Amino acid sequence: MPDAAVEVAVAGWAEAVEAYFERGWTDGLPVVPATAEAVRPFLEAAGRAPGDVVLAETTRRRTITAEKVAINAVLAGCQPDYMPVLLAALEAMADPAFTLHGAITSTGGSATLVVVNGPIRQRLGLNAGGNVFGPGWRANATIGRAIRLVTLNCLGAQPGLLDRSTQGHPGKYSYCIAELEEENPWEPLHVTRGLAPGTSAVTVFAAEGPHNVLSHYGEMAESVIVALADTMASLGSFSPGESFVVLAPEHVTILARDGWTKPGIREALYTRARRTVADLKRGGKLAGAVEPVDETTWAHRGRGPEDIHIVVAGGGAGGHSAFIPSWSRDRNSLAVTKEIR
Amino acid sequence: MTLKILDPTVAADDATDVAVAKRVGDLDGKVLGLLHNGKVNGDRLLDLVREQLAARYGLRDVVVVRKPSASRVADEAVLDRLARECDAVITAIGD
Repeated sequence: MPDAAVEVAVAGWAEAVEAYFERGWTDGLPVVPATAEAVRPFLEAAGRAPGDVVLAETTRRRTITAEKVAINAVLAGCQPDYMPVLLAALEAMADPAFTLHGAITSTGGSATLVVVNGPIRQRLGLNAGGNVFGPGWRANATIGRAIRLVTLNCLGAQPGLLDRSTQGHPGKYSYCIAELEEENPWEPLHVTRGLAPGTSAVTVFAAEGPHNVLSHYGEMAESVIVALADTMASLGSFSPGESFVVLAPEHVTILARDGWTKPGIREALYTRARRTVADLKRGGKLAGAVEPVDETTWAHRGRGPEDIHIVVAGGGAGGHSAFIPSWSRDRNSLAVTKEIR
Repeated sequence: MTLKILDPTVAADDATDVAVAKRVGDLDGKVLGLLHNGKVNGDRLLDLVREQLAARYGLRDVVVVRKPSASRVADEAVLDRLARECDAVITAIGD
């Protein structure tokens, strides 16, 4: 069994905060000092013994116990009852399909997007509405932050050492949203991904930041689809990787009113989000000189409609949806969904 | 007041069970393995390495393997094959 966490004696609370900075154990922001008394309720809420193994990362040979997850959850400012979400997210990140080591170290600079579904959203006070990617909600802010602190402290993905992100993005501080299932006229993400309605679930995705898709004045489903597909086809993030499309309630209302279904949206976006091989070569996305045939050979965003994951979230006013491209340029890392128990 | 705070970090698991392979000395009469990590130009880099080593040593054979994904570690079958067939293996990352 891995050793229990080492204790460091400090003079007081303020000194403890500084001690975490001095040792390089933070994300650059102050943390809540983790004492044995603070950590205990987190393990109790999770129903886990301190030495229970939550995640074993084989490339860098790191074994993460429930105690280490709990310590980092305290540092992040979590409440004890957030632990089941963290454990499910880390189990999802350990799935080979996620390619954890690559995702957290690559120059591509991804963050782990965490999407929460099911009744646990209300119990924990997770925000699915206005400013869904922004600040102001403890559960969103600290769950996302705890995942980052585990990545930094337990997986060794320190910037400049194992994390070689060229630029990274702000979601690397915290990147956790809930789905606004109440405004979703279709089925929620976790049900589309095979779980039963009524269950709580977490989906993790090695992701770039959200790209805004503003479509205010068309007031027709076709306008929303055009704007989404165009954003998804932009060269910067173009690849056959997976996509998350986070639809704002206003866009959802328009799409549903005009008779669009989730499979129909996925199909239309896959069909339209495409570029010619000539474009990809001109933009330095593919190597080689442009050949005549490249002008009429098309590449799509994703390998098929099922690579486009639809989520509903955001405030009631405003035609702002988001396109979130994968870090993976193809199949290297895929979204993983796990039930929260 | 003294506060005892907990260390949130995890060190790499003990690796003492992995022995270092015997050194080959030189490559005369040896089989060289080249493991291309799958990134663009890694193969070109390894071609140059192969040229240089072939000029300097009498290589018996060269085994070239390409990983399908740079982000993932080589699978067991690939590593087993390299271990079985080669005396020395060089890997390269290109981009």
